Amino acid sequence: MKKTKILSLLLALALVLGLAACGAAPAPAAPAAPAEPKILKLAESFAYASLDAHKDWNGWYTSIYGLTETLFKVGNDLSVQPLLAEKAETSEDGLTWTVTLNPKAAFSDGKALTADMVVRNLQRIGEVNERFADVKDYVIEAVDDKTLTITTPELYPTLITDKLTNSAFGIMDLDGADLDNAPVCTGPFTVKSFEPEGTVELAKNENYWNGDVKLDGVIFYYMNDDESKLMAMQSGEIDGSSSVTAAAKEIYAADPSSYVLTVIPATRLQFYVLNQNRLSPNVRKAINLTVDNQDIADYLGGTVSPAVGPFGASAPYGQVTKPAVDRAAAKAAIEADGYTLNADGYYEKDGKELTVEICYYFARSLDSIAVVLERQFKEIGVKCILTGVEDADSTYRVTGEYDIALYCMIADQAGDPYYCINALFRQNSDWALSGFHSNECEALINELQSETDVNRRAELANQIVQISIDDDAFGYIGLFNKTTVAVPGVVNIGENSPFDFYAVSAETDMP
Amino acid sequence: MKKYIGKRLLHLVGILIALSFLTFLLMYLAPGDAATKKLNAQGIAVSQEVLEQTRADMGLDRPFLVQYGDWALKVLRGDLGTSYKDGTSVAGKLSKALGYTAQLALGALGISLLIALPLAILTALKKDTLLDYIVRFFSFIGNSMPNFLISVLLMYFLCVKARLLPVVADRSFQGLLLPSVALSIPMIGRFLRQFRAELLEQLGKSYVSGAVARGVRGRYILFRNVLHNAAIPILTIVGLQIGTLMGGSVVIETIFRWPGLGKLAMDSITARDTPVIQGFVLLTAVIYVMVNLLTDVAYHWIDPRIRQE
Repeated sequence: MKKTKILSLLLALALVLGLAACGAAPAPAAPAAPAEPKILKLAESFAYASLDAHKDWNGWYTSIYGLTETLFKVGNDLSVQPLLAEKAETSEDGLTWTVTLNPKAAFSDGKALTADMVVRNLQRIGEVNERFADVKDYVIEAVDDKTLTITTPELYPTLITDKLTNSAFGIMDLDGADLDNAPVCTGPFTVKSFEPEGTVELAKNENYWNGDVKLDGVIFYYMNDDESKLMAMQSGEIDGSSSVTAAAKEIYAADPSSYVLTVIPATRLQFYVLNQNRLSPNVRKAINLTVDNQDIADYLGGTVSPAVGPFGASAPYGQVTKPAVDRAAAKAAIEADGYTLNADGYYEKDGKELTVEICYYFARSLDSIAVVLERQFKEIGVKCILTGVEDADSTYRVTGEYDIALYCMIADQAGDPYYCINALFRQNSDWALSGFHSNECEALINELQSETDVNRRAELANQIVQISIDDDAFGYIGLFNKTTVAVPGVVNIGENSPFDFYAVSAETDMP
Repeated sequence: MKKYIGKRLLHLVGILIALSFLTFLLMYLAPGDAATKKLNAQGIAVSQEVLEQTRADMGLDRPFLVQYGDWALKVLRGDLGTSYKDGTSVAGKLSKALGYTAQLALGALGISLLIALPLAILTALKKDTLLDYIVRFFSFIGNSMPNFLISVLLMYFLCVKARLLPVVADRSFQGLLLPSVALSIPMIGRFLRQFRAELLEQLGKSYVSGAVARGVRGRYILFRNVLHNAAIPILTIVGLQIGTLMGGSVVIETIFRWPGLGKLAMDSITARDTPVIQGFVLLTAVIYVMVNLLTDVAYHWIDPRIRQE
């Protein structure tokens, strides 16, 4: 019987250990020998079912993968730079854009990029992507082999930043056989293997038209679990990753010899809207004087940078000011409305406590921000009700049922303020349900819509945003930092670009 | 027997209609829709006009019963439709994910049975000894640990520290190993306790005392009588577990990048991808009913008394 017991125990133990040993152990990351191919391994939090850049959000990823390129790109300094196009000029009436292609631009199979192919690409995007259905109304024509014209029905000064730099406008060879799984594009890498919603293996584009590609290949692993990403970095199985969490950031920061962390302010904005239909001007003022963005940024472990307005302070259209945190002034503003502090330390009037409802959804740290706001408001004597929903876009954003609505969006799509301003401050935007209305603001937005001078556009944007701050209509909390981690020696994986849709390029390198 | 199977399959039709209607209704009532989720996926809001047009193109602006009826008619023609999220075939998505889930379920079930059954026999025979207490203690721990904790611990010790297995696993046997072990640990705890209880019940019965008194060898009693009589409850437990496993495990599949049904269902719920969710519900209902049916059929095969009834 003793023998049976020992045998049974051994069987149980051997099974787990034996099965574990069956799998060949991955070799610890060894320094690459000079002759070895340079294959960079990166983790991405999303993956799509197709590589057809024009459909859905696939272009975001084909751009990250270094497959597709756009006619223009946005530099790290938010400036628009030529890429597949050399230049774009507008006609005197401003309706027609003449785009001249770079004569060197070519697909990975060596075929030259022609104006006709670009025209077909643009027309197809209008057909297959709901977000750009307006492109169907454009007249797009090839003038010669390297020149095309785009005529819009209305003045559209932001055509380049809205469309021609947009990752969905990545150019593909539409005569290619398999746009979903192996599109032929112009970028520094080509598809080696593609698993829908999984791993993507890329090979160096040997015919890259815009210089030498330093890497031999890249593998993007789809990993949407933060712990797995962290452990894959620790085990040396991946060389880099973006969207690093606050917890993982601490671990990487503690070992600077093994990991290089790059943190830059990006363009994803956390903000709140103050409902003017439910909150008095003094209460709104008190709220804005109380919210301490630095405190929130500290609470979020450095994953966001405190914001003043919706755009980064380095942008010419990010030059706005807001009053410093002043709790005493906040309390004075509430008291000016006739509120007095009760025995519980909360303001009340006519026996009713001053209570604000903060609506938020469970993403982009908005739930954490709601908790910090509750604490900050309690310190001045304002009670909070926290209402968390799964989806703001079908609840409080479109019903207007909130005192304070937390939201997160990309404020700066591609180096221009119009998209964000149009989405937030227009009288027909969803946020107009908050009661924010300014004729001056609307007139300035109309002017911004058709203004072509970049400096004047920045001036107008600053005026518009300043109105929203002075009116205590909005509060801008923070801009998400883009946090990238890589092993030492890995460079140019998009760590210095504020945009999430840029990653590998011809300049990406590894030891 | 044929009549019985026919009756159960008829029940399945009723179950599928009720389940699909209820799921469709819940998805319809849930805040948010596929158009909003799809267009705002990266945090860039689109205009209301674009949103409305997309809703109309997807047919989401139609009344509930029209949408459900349209979907049901397609299903009756054998067409599960296409995904709202990416336009690919629902049947293709489900069959691919089902294959991965089946591999994971088989792996986890195999490991669980290989460990739990011998240990259950051992602890039943050695009831209230030190060995019994130790095994029961660990079965408690295994059973009560959440899947994500088990997964992270396994990954940390076996992949990061010992470097026995990769974190970034592929779809090979090696890639299947760790998620199978992670999924099996709570199952071993559960099986062990349930199997042990069944065996103890059988061991306490008079036919065992009688056989011992008649001088029948212990091993013979165990394998020919006790295990045989405990087979039906054990089969029920395993059958129910197979049904659950075939629904997929969201946590395990997400952590180990295993593209099974659980992850597909979770992603589809997040994206409000009703056609995929509906397909998933139908598939899992069919699997659950079929597994239970097969279990019942197995009773007939194992126990002659049930055959006679």
